[in-house]
Amino acid sequence: MKYRFQIIPSLCIGCRTCELACAFSHAHDKKPGRSRIYPIAYAPDKYVPVACLQCDDAACVKSCLFNALRRNDETGAIELDKERCVKCMACVAACPFGCALFDDVHDEVVKCDICEGTPACVQFCPTKALVYEKIPV
Amino acid sequence: MVHITINGKVVKAREGEMLLAAIRRQGIDIPALCHHEAVEPTGNCRLCMVEITREQWQGWKKYVTSCLYPVEEGLIVSTHTPELIEIRKNLLDLQLARCPNSEVIQQMAEEYGLTKSSYESRPDADNCIMCYACTRICEVLGKNAISAAGRGHDKIITPPFGEPPPDCIGCLACAQICPTDVILWTDDNTVRTIWDKKFDLISCSQCGKTTITRDFADYLIETRNLPREYFDTCDECKRKNLAHKMGDIVTAVEEVTL
Repeated sequence: MKYRFQIIPSLCIGCRTCELACAFSHAHDKKPGRSRIYPIAYAPDKYVPVACLQCDDAACVKSCLFNALRRNDETGAIELDKERCVKCMACVAACPFGCALFDDVHDEVVKCDICEGTPACVQFCPTKALVYEKIPV
Repeated sequence: MVHITINGKVVKAREGEMLLAAIRRQGIDIPALCHHEAVEPTGNCRLCMVEITREQWQGWKKYVTSCLYPVEEGLIVSTHTPELIEIRKNLLDLQLARCPNSEVIQQMAEEYGLTKSSYESRPDADNCIMCYACTRICEVLGKNAISAAGRGHDKIITPPFGEPPPDCIGCLACAQICPTDVILWTDDNTVRTIWDKKFDLISCSQCGKTTITRDFADYLIETRNLPREYFDTCDECKRKNLAHKMGDIVTAVEEVTL
């Protein structure tokens, strides 16, 4: 993996811009509820933007019985091949961080794909709590 | 990389892939019912027929199911010739006679100008077109819980002996892949019923929302080597837990630095 997606909770101010950026660049109907990043409050006014961490030994990839989830070596993201997905929900149930989810309105599994190398949430984060950077190999 | 000509346009295709994938990548819409990327192609519905020829064939051509035909260097493919439209129309006419109540087939037939089959419809018709997508996906899963039984027009897709299948894990892959939505299931609170077999759904230990069946989770834990606690909670609660865990670390670090 050449790149790494990082979340720095101490810098997050809970403005939910990442959620909007994700919804605008991805979701069918541009609704923030359909985004792939979720700023969650763990204490009053303290937030963690929870998003897929693209694990090295990912439970979603292991759980997929149809090889629909594969890592894109260039971006480091685990991408969902919608053509291969049969919506068995194994990945949704298996992800220990709950970051693969099912959109029941459009009947599809939704997962962060790092916007194919230019994550919208990172670009719009005002405090740089989200970082997508090259890591030394 | 191989080069093929699709409707007069030279395009590149990956070696070993099937014609259908190469054609669809060009944004050309060919109907297909039994095709799914996750299973081996079998060419059962035959709707994805295309015409192929080569320069050295001197005008000879043949019709092949594009889901089953691997790309070859120098192939010349046509997807919407009048003959092909006639073939697809005939196929849909037959499908419509078999499954007159299927919305998917009705819609496809309407695109080809058919509202009613010219053949006599099957009495007590269900919507199954015998494409075997369900049995093929069950095979990929490694379960083989359902298969075809009977012969000729009595052939049906069924669990062994028509009884609740002992190997089924209630993953719904067969129901989800079915192009005509024949396979029905119900989720009633924490009980899922499919193929007349009842399954326990896992309820989230924090909020009670149901996720997948216990049998499916057991199968994943066993074959894919996943820890059991991954399946205890629903995705929303897992996100909250992650946020709280990260939050605890942030607070701990802040306390130390202060």
